Amino acid sequence: MSYIELCEKVLKSSEKLGAKETEALIVVRHEIGVEIERAEIKTCSDVMDSGLGVRAITNKKIGFAFTNILREKEVAKTAKRAVEASKASPKDKNWKQLPEKRKYPTVKDTYDKKITRFTSDEAVVLCQKMINTAQDLDKRVLPAFGGAQVTILESICLNSQGVKASDKGTSLVCSLGTMARSKTQVSPMCFEFKASRRYEPDPKWVAEEAARFAIDAINVGKAEAGRFPIMLDPFALQSILTFTLVQSVKGDIVAQGRSIFKNKIGKKVAGENITIYDNGTLPGGLLSGKMDMEGAPRQKTPIVEKGILRSFLYNNYWARLEDRESTGNAGRGGGGLSLPPYGTIPNISPTNVQLTAGSFTKEELLEEVKNGYYVRGVQGAHQSNPETGEFSVALAPAWRIQKSKITHAVKGAMIAGNAYDMLRKISALGKETRQVGTFVAPKVVIGELNVITN
Amino acid sequence: MLKDVLSPVLDKLEGLGASYAEVRAQENSNTFLTVRDGQVEAVSLSTEKGAAIRVLARGTWGFSTTNSLARRDLEKAGKSALKMAKAAGQNVREPVELAPVKAVEDKTGVRFKKDPRNIDISTKTKNLLEINNACFDFNKCIKSVTVRYADLATQQALATTEGTYIEQLKMVVWNYCWVTGKRTGIIASARDEIGAHGYELFDSEPPEQIAERVSRRVVQQLEAKTPKGGPFPAIIGTSIVGVLAHEALGHICEADLTLAGSALIGKLGQKIASEHVTIYDSALIPEGLGAIKYDDEGVPGQRTVLIQNGTLVGLMHNRETAAKMNMKPTGNARAQDFRVPPIIRMRNTCFEKGNYSFEELMEDIKFGYYPEAFRGGQANLDGTFTVGVQSAFEIVNGELGKPVRNIGISGNTLETLKQVDACGKDFGLETGRCGKGQYMFESSGGPPLRVKSILIGGA
Repeated sequence: MSYIELCEKVLKSSEKLGAKETEALIVVRHEIGVEIERAEIKTCSDVMDSGLGVRAITNKKIGFAFTNILREKEVAKTAKRAVEASKASPKDKNWKQLPEKRKYPTVKDTYDKKITRFTSDEAVVLCQKMINTAQDLDKRVLPAFGGAQVTILESICLNSQGVKASDKGTSLVCSLGTMARSKTQVSPMCFEFKASRRYEPDPKWVAEEAARFAIDAINVGKAEAGRFPIMLDPFALQSILTFTLVQSVKGDIVAQGRSIFKNKIGKKVAGENITIYDNGTLPGGLLSGKMDMEGAPRQKTPIVEKGILRSFLYNNYWARLEDRESTGNAGRGGGGLSLPPYGTIPNISPTNVQLTAGSFTKEELLEEVKNGYYVRGVQGAHQSNPETGEFSVALAPAWRIQKSKITHAVKGAMIAGNAYDMLRKISALGKETRQVGTFVAPKVVIGELNVITN
Repeated sequence: MLKDVLSPVLDKLEGLGASYAEVRAQENSNTFLTVRDGQVEAVSLSTEKGAAIRVLARGTWGFSTTNSLARRDLEKAGKSALKMAKAAGQNVREPVELAPVKAVEDKTGVRFKKDPRNIDISTKTKNLLEINNACFDFNKCIKSVTVRYADLATQQALATTEGTYIEQLKMVVWNYCWVTGKRTGIIASARDEIGAHGYELFDSEPPEQIAERVSRRVVQQLEAKTPKGGPFPAIIGTSIVGVLAHEALGHICEADLTLAGSALIGKLGQKIASEHVTIYDSALIPEGLGAIKYDDEGVPGQRTVLIQNGTLVGLMHNRETAAKMNMKPTGNARAQDFRVPPIIRMRNTCFEKGNYSFEELMEDIKFGYYPEAFRGGQANLDGTFTVGVQSAFEIVNGELGKPVRNIGISGNTLETLKQVDACGKDFGLETGRCGKGQYMFESSGGPPLRVKSILIGGA
């Protein structure tokens, strides 16, 4: 039976058992990858994970069941368990209906046939290249962890409201974490990666960048406490904003009264130089696709335009609660327990969060800072308070900027501040962007942040 | 018996050139519930089946998985893992070796009193709704409550080419709350996370108790002031000291990370902390979520002392790092599920108790902080650690003062552990989930601890 036929079978059996609405989602993930550990190729893996998640609704009661056994008999059992779960569930007075059939966008560069033909031997070659490049650059560098991996992800979604769609995407990631040590210093782990939806590996660049950062991080000098301008790299910016801004623009968090942005649509929440989109249709974007994880079309949603708050992010459930259309932000999986994507009901997840670039070159950004810090990565951002925006994080790695030049690395320093205030105090944005996780952003300069040292 | 299926697969792999192979077969059945502001989101039930196959050949690992426990599918996955190992092992300089362990045959399981699989869903949802209601009843400033519950039952069979065959039942019951309050424009939130091996969790943690603990923190946060930033003396509370053990020491004592160049490389046998510091990682604390009789390589769970009175005496190993360092495996190889291979993970990581009362710890501090509950933590290989604090108080002239908002503490292992100058006589154990590519349940704990100076990140 094909995946579509299995899903159709689920809809039929669930209806027969008394469900008013049913949704069947199958997700198939195939990963081939090689891991590097301590400058050696360590593990090579070929992992296939597939499963089915069934949402059944009877009388506004929602049940969910999932399985990773995609055989006819087990699939029917899963449909039955979903209906049973719905009957055991209290009524959800807010329930309206599953997503309806809508037109899907065409999204470029999310699938590359070449990646589907990738072999473990190619992964070994990419990894060996990274190891050799990093070690050849400087003997003090240890390529501690890293790897090359391709992922082929297919999702199939059918529901009783007429949605019947599938999407297939590919990605290739080369990554390397290096450490450097001198007689007196150990660098923090310095990480670089290149991820793409098409077959565009660049192991040499990844290894050189990772190694250079580690070498630069052992040239340690004095860190001064006080209020300083800070240049934040997309890595650091992504960490801080993911656990603050991104949480607070999710429609469910807003509806629950947990967001600082509640009742602020149309109001100024950031500097005029700040425009942020959630763009699920970004060509080649790491989280781009034609549909979200409940079959609603992906789209480009303005969150902040020139400092004005424009929209929140929704999946079907929370959108209907407010009589609006889903923004195509249904995500699945995780749930704090690393569940597979077919293992949870939809949550609200960002796609590619784009902070629009500015016009500053790297030199001009350093000019803007003059006397301050360059922070590439921060540690502890997931402990931020999303409701208030407060964060206090350790800097790793980070460098001192003096007279508009990067002078030396600093260790043991923290920055603390408020992410929402920070959005009003961005004085310069770089002209080049890159994607780190869900974020596509340039380097930015924050007018002033509190630096704390020992 | 599953053994009759797994053994021939292993024999075949050995015949094809594997120097070692293991199959870890699992059947999982789980329940997940979420209540948001009094509304049950969806009752979620799952059954899963699968096997992880790891093969050592040409000195490197190959790994593959299958969602079937049929012999044919296991063999196919095994051959794929062998092929992977051979691909990886094209130019190995230091082939992987495994420290010897005694082959074991056993059928065992974690100890619990109430099997969550025998409790019906309506009882579970009722319990969550009671927690939800008790939070809203606690104070009218409470505006939003999310309660999440999971019970996870895993029946596992581990078979290796060395003759080990262990059937083990793993069980976790987990409860998590996130509560938000609002008063005069200020929003604050707090979290609470508890776990046990059985549904008896809620006998010792009735809904009102959970609700009061987390809601009280929210109210405190609404009244709290912003802390000063900088180095200060601190007393690290029993609900947060374990996170310090986990982040400040634990991770860089995981031998894979030590060998990768962590701040502790070459430091075994050296004094790296004050004499008041003894830290261990133990599989033998029955109520801890890291209690295991065997790890996922079949090594018996044990108590591993990491720091004894300030001296680094041990690391946490799997069989591979133990062989590399010529030490004994410690039973720390754990895997989230059959989708991933086992890696070195902590179990129950704790500071040893001392003999100070809480008042004695505080009496000499003129001004400092008392971090009481954690939000999360993170470690870096160079020894930089951070612990996010959701609830803390000032200490003024030897007494507890006003609550302070949301702070972060940070330091470097080799500096901070030297600053510990006294340990309390109370002891607390906290439930945690740790991410290291895979998530893992573990516990951590210890007594209240006095630190002469630690960096407080004030806003």
